[in-house]
Amino acid sequence: MPEPKQIFEEYYKELLHAAHDHNIALGISRSLSAYRERRARALERFPHTVKLAEEVRQLKEDCVGRLDELVQRAAASLKENGAQVYYAESAGDALKIIGEIVGSGKVVLSAKTLTGEEVGLRRHLEGLGNEFWETDVGEFIQQLREEKPMHYLGPCLHVTREQVAELLTNFLGREIPPDAEVEVRTIREFLRSKYFKADFGISGCNVMAADSGSIFLLESEGNIRMLTNLPPVHIVLVGIDKVVPTFHDAFKVAEVTWRYGGFTIPLYISTVSGPSATGDIEYTMVRGASGPLELHVVFLDNGRSTLAKDPVLKEALYCLKCGGCLFECPIFQLIAGHYGGHGYFGGVGAILTAYMGGGFEEAAPIAYTCLRCGRCTEVCPQSIDLSKLIPELRHRIDQKS
Amino acid sequence: MKNTKLYTPPVFHIISTNTAKWGNPLGLKKTDCASWAKGLQLPTKGKTILYTGCEYQMTAYIQSLVEVLKRVKFKDALFSAFSGLQTAGVKLGVGLMEAYKKATSRETEHYNQLLSMAALTLRKLGIDFAHLDGELYSGALLYEYGLFEEFEKQAKRVADQFKEAGVTKIITLTPHSAEILQQVYPRFIANFNFEVIPYVSSVAEALNKLSTRLSLPEPLTLTLHDPCHLARSLKVTEEPREVLRAITNLDFREVALNRESTCCCGAPCETIFHELSELVASRRVEELSATGAEVAATLCPFCYANLNRGVNLTGKKLRIVDFIEIIYQALEANNART
Repeated sequence: MPEPKQIFEEYYKELLHAAHDHNIALGISRSLSAYRERRARALERFPHTVKLAEEVRQLKEDCVGRLDELVQRAAASLKENGAQVYYAESAGDALKIIGEIVGSGKVVLSAKTLTGEEVGLRRHLEGLGNEFWETDVGEFIQQLREEKPMHYLGPCLHVTREQVAELLTNFLGREIPPDAEVEVRTIREFLRSKYFKADFGISGCNVMAADSGSIFLLESEGNIRMLTNLPPVHIVLVGIDKVVPTFHDAFKVAEVTWRYGGFTIPLYISTVSGPSATGDIEYTMVRGASGPLELHVVFLDNGRSTLAKDPVLKEALYCLKCGGCLFECPIFQLIAGHYGGHGYFGGVGAILTAYMGGGFEEAAPIAYTCLRCGRCTEVCPQSIDLSKLIPELRHRIDQKS
Repeated sequence: MKNTKLYTPPVFHIISTNTAKWGNPLGLKKTDCASWAKGLQLPTKGKTILYTGCEYQMTAYIQSLVEVLKRVKFKDALFSAFSGLQTAGVKLGVGLMEAYKKATSRETEHYNQLLSMAALTLRKLGIDFAHLDGELYSGALLYEYGLFEEFEKQAKRVADQFKEAGVTKIITLTPHSAEILQQVYPRFIANFNFEVIPYVSSVAEALNKLSTRLSLPEPLTLTLHDPCHLARSLKVTEEPREVLRAITNLDFREVALNRESTCCCGAPCETIFHELSELVASRRVEELSATGAEVAATLCPFCYANLNRGVNLTGKKLRIVDFIEIIYQALEANNART
């Protein structure tokens, strides 16, 4: 583990490098105007979302005080539905649990998962000798670039189509033209060859319902449907902060998440509540019909329950990861995902990094980058008050210095 | 949680040491902070006070501080150059102060003029107010950097000063002071029951009562940069616009990101990541400049200074002015006519 001062210095170097990266500036400016337009249109067409967001904030305030109870209820529901349930105290525990389920020499497909990024899942499973593919187009590109994702919604928003063409040409050993449509078709073709061969599909979870054990997955690419249905085993790595009491509550959280992410509707909304099953023959329940034979759900704590007990900073757990604040953040606009650590970005990301994996050493320079300008709070569906939270986080850091 | 000692930027030490010793983060003397009020014969006791928080006075020196931090190779060698700072303590702090206190007297003079215009404006508008002798800094930076123990000590000193002077109402000249006094002090200080009102709000209120129309001596196209804390924390967005609407000969152009959607000027990170600060300032200047206005007015000394840096960096034909200058000029012109 490098010294805190060294971490700060490294961060500074990365930040300066990113600040002068022309592609980041270009990518963000294009994405920002598109995002603003889309979000405005989505909220205009579904104006009830603003009120719903307030309701969701209250819901999350209530849930953060009873994470244990909600996780227990969700686990019970999942078991009843035939799933296997695990509890990972730390990132290391999660890697061990999933590593044991997967073993080695397997083909593993992954949906864009923040928890996977948080614990370093890809590196771990590859290290065990597995073939691992990200199936979200942006994540796939970032995997080929050997780079971390740059945004929750657009992992490669700083990569131009020319760069993608070059990347795919090198990867496949045949000429791919710099045309977004051809590029997406090429990635589609490659990934579709993998879905039936894969032994495992790994996803995160946007929100989970305790009463039914339902895992909500929001997407537009269709990759999540494929990888949660076609491989024989589906593994879910879900943060314990994602559980809400009912299916109805979960739907509200999901709707606010996608709407503030700039979607009128995501093209696919899936819920998975257990492994596939049939009772068609003599009304006897058999697990494993057309869909997966097994569903493994790993609940990840990794600092969340400590954060949930912090009277002030717990507010960071209300974050839905819609990514709206990032587009609007004056710092993020300059250095994109370099303003973050362990898969979490921006000011809220600094708090999540401090508690969920990176520790205060890694969170410190991120915390000091925040301008405390409050622009994020203005666009946040949860009104997370970073101008109050950031001094608090810095205070915790100062106490340890 | 591991027990590693964490690293904090060296500027924190300078700020906290100076505030404890001098009452302000840059170690300015009381005479430096009060020199603007000379000759104005402001009462030093009264129920209503104008509180400057020493921020305009400090602004002249901040750029020099940033330059000093840069000179010691802030971005590369900072970490080794300053490694002894925690033990060298005040000594290095003082050495730095000597260097950055060489701010040009022209700049100091300019900020002092703004302060005196601010006071004269209130007087012209018929507002009775005092200005405390030996006024202290609010401690805003200490709070923002999470140095809560030091902040609390400073806040107590400030609150005691207000109490001793028999103050009930505080007109705060800067958004940072207003935010800290109105929203943060009550969390740290028991019975902090003062009425805190941002400067522009008292100006707008007084103008409203007088219902006079003001006019600028020359026609001017102007846009407004809402300071973040004024617009978002304090929710003061309409007051400056009301005042501007009361002025003829002024063509007001709204910038795309306005009111609570305003964009930061970049100043907050200038002593830690000055390169980012400059880039944010440049972007904001581009946005303000896109309105086609000749000048952009702002209501915060830090925005003022950093947007000026943005103008220098981008080479845009935009003049940054303080809102105080505009209202003062309009009142002056009005006086000349009547």
